[in-house]
Amino acid sequence: MVGLFSVTILVLVAVVAGTAVGIVVLRIWRRIRNRRLAALAAGPRRALLAFVADNGEEGSEDLIAIPDDAWSAALPAALGLLGKLRGDAHAALVSVFLHRGAARAALTDLHARSGVRRARAAQLLGDLELREAVPELCRLLTDRDHEVRVVAVRALGRIGDAKAAWRMIASLDDHDPVPSLLATQSLAQMGREAEVVLSAALDHPQARVRAVCLDALGLIGATGAVSRMARVLADDEVLDVRVAAAANLGRLGARGALKPLTDSLDPPAPDLLRAAAARALGDLGAPAAVPALAAHLDDGEFQIAHEAAQSLRRLGPPGIAALRERDNDHCREALALVAPELVGAS
Amino acid sequence: MTVVLVADDDADIRDLVAFKLEQAGFEVIAVEDGQTAIEQARSRQPTLAVLDVSMPGLSGIDVCRMLRAEPATAGILIIMLTARVQEQDVEGGFSAGADDYVTKPFSPRELVSRIQALLSRARA
Repeated sequence: MVGLFSVTILVLVAVVAGTAVGIVVLRIWRRIRNRRLAALAAGPRRALLAFVADNGEEGSEDLIAIPDDAWSAALPAALGLLGKLRGDAHAALVSVFLHRGAARAALTDLHARSGVRRARAAQLLGDLELREAVPELCRLLTDRDHEVRVVAVRALGRIGDAKAAWRMIASLDDHDPVPSLLATQSLAQMGREAEVVLSAALDHPQARVRAVCLDALGLIGATGAVSRMARVLADDEVLDVRVAAAANLGRLGARGALKPLTDSLDPPAPDLLRAAAARALGDLGAPAAVPALAAHLDDGEFQIAHEAAQSLRRLGPPGIAALRERDNDHCREALALVAPELVGAS
Repeated sequence: MTVVLVADDDADIRDLVAFKLEQAGFEVIAVEDGQTAIEQARSRQPTLAVLDVSMPGLSGIDVCRMLRAEPATAGILIIMLTARVQEQDVEGGFSAGADDYVTKPFSPRELVSRIQALLSRARA
């Protein structure tokens, strides 16, 4: 019995000692490997920084000629820079990546079994802003892996090709969709060329999709979509979508947005929408909105009167003059935020 | 020589910005976190600071507010460098007292031009 106990203890001690030695050896090996990689990467990294700092005017041949093991060691730095640069420096770095065959490899990796490899490939193709990759990246919008879909949306936004807009909007209809804010930003990055598709999607059956498209239209400054957005403001069956329409009409700053927004200040529009319209009129920046906003400074709904006062403040001297003519808490609060010289000037 | 403080926890961006600014003839102090940025700003009194918004510990916005709050550092020109592009983020940077806001992805050439323009306006 004592013998069996001793053997068990000895085995346990051996296992613990073996594990401890294993951990130490692994740590030493990792440290040595990291030092070796850092030493290997130091030269290429310096060359890379100099190349990018010079906007790629000199040194591309040297970077292309770097041996594969040294390039691999410097790759994290190169990828980091690629994602954070634009302009000539970015274009120069892209040409180095293309010469080293990175795009070809990434396009192949989009079909890899591993989700991590597919996501990395999509990220690289986006950072390379490679338009030829758009159809393949669109295919990833319905990837089985949520993270891959998110990376694909971000990559398509970075490339900014409006041809992907409809596929991206369709992917929002998924049972496990990408975050709205990310989709909005990516669609907005596609610019005015996406305006027609985004306007058409305002008739999409899903409220979330309509709201994303409204935000994207607002961000790209799609003044051509004012009448369609005004229709959503007036008629959409979902209140949150109407509120999004009001906010984005204000953001557009277009003359055509004035009437639909002032029309939404009064009942039968719901109070939430009336407040959103009052806020949007301040964003719109049109002095012509002053009379309509001033008429709501004594509105029975606190939020509407508050937003009307704050919007008048943001409209500058004509709005501030209207605030000074009325004496209530909302006006006093708004005037307290105005620079003294502006109060005097109005 | 004009001294510029660069604070960014991303070593590649920090080194790139420092490299580019040194090329343009500035003396650069490069640091990797907000606390060190504050200490360097107090001791070295740079003319201008380029601050990354998202740093561990003190963010660029925090550093900006703290520099503006101290008479000795309140006059330092500040450019925020960040990947945050939402309107409220930009507004947050300016309301903290930043003089300019550069969003990533950024162009190193444009960053240097903005720094030079800011310095020219300050000298005028």
